[in-house]
Amino acid sequence: MSEAVLKTEKLSKSYTLGKCNVQALSGVNLQVNKGEFVAIMGPSGSGKTTLLNVLGCLDKPTSGRVLIDEVDVAKLPEAELYKIRRNKIGFVFQTFNLLPYLNARENVELPMECVGKSKSERRRRASKLLEMVGLSGREEHRPQRLSAGEQQRVAIARALANNPAILLADEPTGNLDTKNKQELVKLLASLNLNQGTTIIVVTHDGQVAAHTERMLFLKDGKILKEKQGLHLAKKKLMCPYCGSRTQLGDAICPSCKKKL
Amino acid sequence: MAIMISIPAGTSANQASTQNLSQNLSNTITQTEASINQTLTEIDCSLSSGFAGFGFSPGNFTPGQFGGGGNFNPGQFGGGANVPGEFGAGAFGGGITSSMNESLYSDISSIEGVAAIAPTLQVSEGQNVTVERFGRTFTRLVPDYVIEGIPLTSSLVDNYPILPTNITDGRNLQAGDSGVVLLSENNTGFFGAGVGDKIDVLGQTFEVIGVHGSSGVSDRTTLYMNLSDVQALTNNTGYITSLKVFASSSSVVTEVANAISSLHTELAVTTAQQRLEQLQAMQTSYNTALQNAESTISQTQTTAFEEIVVAVAATSLIVLFVMLYTVRERTKEIGTLKAIGFSNWTVMSQFMLEGVLLSLIAGVVGIAIASVAAPTLSSLLLPSVNPFGGSVRLGANAGASNSSAATIAINPQLMLLAFGAAALLGALGSLYPAWRASRTRPAEAMRYE
Repeated sequence: MSEAVLKTEKLSKSYTLGKCNVQALSGVNLQVNKGEFVAIMGPSGSGKTTLLNVLGCLDKPTSGRVLIDEVDVAKLPEAELYKIRRNKIGFVFQTFNLLPYLNARENVELPMECVGKSKSERRRRASKLLEMVGLSGREEHRPQRLSAGEQQRVAIARALANNPAILLADEPTGNLDTKNKQELVKLLASLNLNQGTTIIVVTHDGQVAAHTERMLFLKDGKILKEKQGLHLAKKKLMCPYCGSRTQLGDAICPSCKKKL
Repeated sequence: MAIMISIPAGTSANQASTQNLSQNLSNTITQTEASINQTLTEIDCSLSSGFAGFGFSPGNFTPGQFGGGGNFNPGQFGGGANVPGEFGAGAFGGGITSSMNESLYSDISSIEGVAAIAPTLQVSEGQNVTVERFGRTFTRLVPDYVIEGIPLTSSLVDNYPILPTNITDGRNLQAGDSGVVLLSENNTGFFGAGVGDKIDVLGQTFEVIGVHGSSGVSDRTTLYMNLSDVQALTNNTGYITSLKVFASSSSVVTEVANAISSLHTELAVTTAQQRLEQLQAMQTSYNTALQNAESTISQTQTTAFEEIVVAVAATSLIVLFVMLYTVRERTKEIGTLKAIGFSNWTVMSQFMLEGVLLSLIAGVVGIAIASVAAPTLSSLLLPSVNPFGGSVRLGANAGASNSSAATIAINPQLMLLAFGAAALLGALGSLYPAWRASRTRPAEAMRYE
């Protein structure tokens, strides 16, 4: 159970914003094993998104190593990086980022086009993935005819298209209402449980984080603390703060009154 | 795009019409040269000071001028008993070059060096048109055709160039022909008749035996028949309008001409030499016109080139800006595509393809517009060709030398070229934006809203 899919060593990232030098990440050491469900939490500006971007090869670290399946992607040129993004990583964004002029199925097929799968194969897998996220029958709908929750589920199906080693989700519930949020979290949890998908989710929503196995609290570019997640999908529903039982639909913990 | 198509179309039309013109001019020059060579020994004599043989009917003759002429008796001309009343101001009033009594000039044949004399009678038939100019009223004959009577005797026909040479249909006139007529190509249209048909000339029926192509500007509307036929037809027996005197050799032409002049002071005598000079003057003017036409062509080409360069630059810039805007607008999409595994190359080629496709659509629209608006556009954008100076619009210029008007046509070749240009410009204009799109770092692109 300790097979590392992703590992970072002394990962630092800084960039200049105007005249200020911003240290977004400083010396992050992190290991995510196969099949783990990890939440990265922290206040705004703590470096959550930067970390996720670096992990997803969307951005390059200033120093340190990022090992994905034991390949140091920090040293890879762009000409190689896109292959890692294509084959090893699935990305889910806060704003879904579906292509508006393609329907749900075509959006899911898109990553498969890059790897040169045949049309019938792409079609079959896209339909299967959409069915898995509960959208069978909506294949031909364009994003603007889908609800926000449905759009995000299409985005998840798209992220899973090339069977990635890791699913990275950046605030996946940020644009969703409570009901859709819960459904999405359930979907992610069941993907993790049933398919064994490794998931790293950036969120500042405790309810989302509560479903994960492990929570990393980031502040000022450093991992402040690491906490065992409740992994609610596996265990009983429990308040992450006081340990008392809650219902999945609860917004606040019934005993400690903290916001979930 | 429409402009880009119209300009080459206009240029080639311009070029075609100018080339047409040039061709006609050089044909005329060649024809003129041929007639110079042919008539080296010829001396044209007519009553007036004009150039009868060339159809420049002077019409400035008044009997009074001849009044004092020693050998000339006005009574034998104009109001004479032999001359019908209608000659003067009647039906043929302005149409006939001053006629003269043939018998008066029998003495020319006795001049040394004269090999032959061919008297001719030329009558113009047409309508009198009244024109008002400078406060005065003029009556001018606008001829439909000119009848030229030629003495069809074998000694003349067989040995001297008195008949037209350029026979395009049927046969030429022969010695002894009577009751037949040789039409010009122009005449066939006027009479609506061809070889073998019977036509009515001044109330009498003639059979068309042949058609001649004009050998210059002078005989475009001239129909030829036997001199005696014309004389009888116009009630002009014994009268002629000019004499073609042939010297025995070109070396004695001047002497013969002088002798004729001194014998008949009322005659305008034009030798081959003088005719040559006139022809050369015409040649010079044609050559000038030709040079003008050529310089207009090169001027047109230069202008067209400049305009095309501007149009191409403008088009490329438009594509560039549109694509830059598109790339900006779709930064997030580019970021997404790269995040889900598209390579730089794929992103770049997608945007290039889009630029090219857009340009091709623009090309189709442009061709459609150009096929309607090309004549207007190109005449607006290009200088018109008019070798004779002045301002003549494209297409209308052709009339200057009777060349067929060149039409501005969008041919398939030009369309293909325009399509290629559209694709190329699309690729060119979208190259940089596409490159920028492909270099966008996904993390940055994602931040872009």
